[in-house]
Amino acid sequence: MATILDLAHRNELHKIIPKLSRRKQEERSIYVSSALKEWILRVLPTKESDWKLELSPLEQFAALANDFAAGQFLTYKLDFLPLRHVEDGIWELKTGDLRLFGWFPAKDCFIAHRLEMTTHIKEHKLYFGMAGEVATYRNNLELDEPKFISGVNPNDVVSNFHF
Amino acid sequence: MTSFQISISDSRTVATRFISRVRREIHKALTEESRKRGLTQSDIAREIGVHRSVISRELRGQKDISLGRVGEIAHALGRDPEFFLREDEIDYASNFRPETFKIVIDGGTTSKAAVLEPPKGLRAA
Repeated sequence: MATILDLAHRNELHKIIPKLSRRKQEERSIYVSSALKEWILRVLPTKESDWKLELSPLEQFAALANDFAAGQFLTYKLDFLPLRHVEDGIWELKTGDLRLFGWFPAKDCFIAHRLEMTTHIKEHKLYFGMAGEVATYRNNLELDEPKFISGVNPNDVVSNFHF
Repeated sequence: MTSFQISISDSRTVATRFISRVRREIHKALTEESRKRGLTQSDIAREIGVHRSVISRELRGQKDISLGRVGEIAHALGRDPEFFLREDEIDYASNFRPETFKIVIDGGTTSKAAVLEPPKGLRAA
């Protein structure tokens, strides 16, 4: 079994280094799986906003990662949400165009395994499948127990948020 | 360990940060006003004269919020938006090199204090 840092050193998990303003320091962290890292580097830059937004999906993801890491105020349901009735402890972080699926092994620490355009997910009814994939990946990851924070209470998984 | 950073330019990083900050401030203010006086997205939409779904999409990040709309929403929230461009100061704390600082001993008071003066062009963070 291994800690998150052990898995990062083994290159099984990859930490997103945020771009923070000079007055901010890192208060939360996001790690991604190797498969997701490849998707972010290869596929995400090719995506265009389905809502014709000023920010491209890549820029939206950068904003999400930076704001999350900076400990910015999050709004429950608008910024993050548990996937209830699917798998225990699976959460999504949201932008206008994107849904990032993962779990919290500890408060303010998010491990993500799938990222996809929201319209694609909704058109093809992929929520259950995405959550299932993340749960399978999580179950197979050699992470020390307990691997995730169970339940749907946002107070357990992030600080500095409001309903 | 292969940590990585999302590759967008510095100027776009500042742009994304600003857009995000505006939306978060609106969320925060709406939450506060909702708690204080039960204000809803529908109330805001009615005040502005648009359908509730428009406000909902703007708050969810599925529609860009124009500067004018920021003002309208602020007004509906009973708030006054402010905007300023802060000078991009160098954080000399991170560039601190002791040999570049001049130590001034204040001998005019009973307690002597060493004051570090940064070189010209650098200001305290």
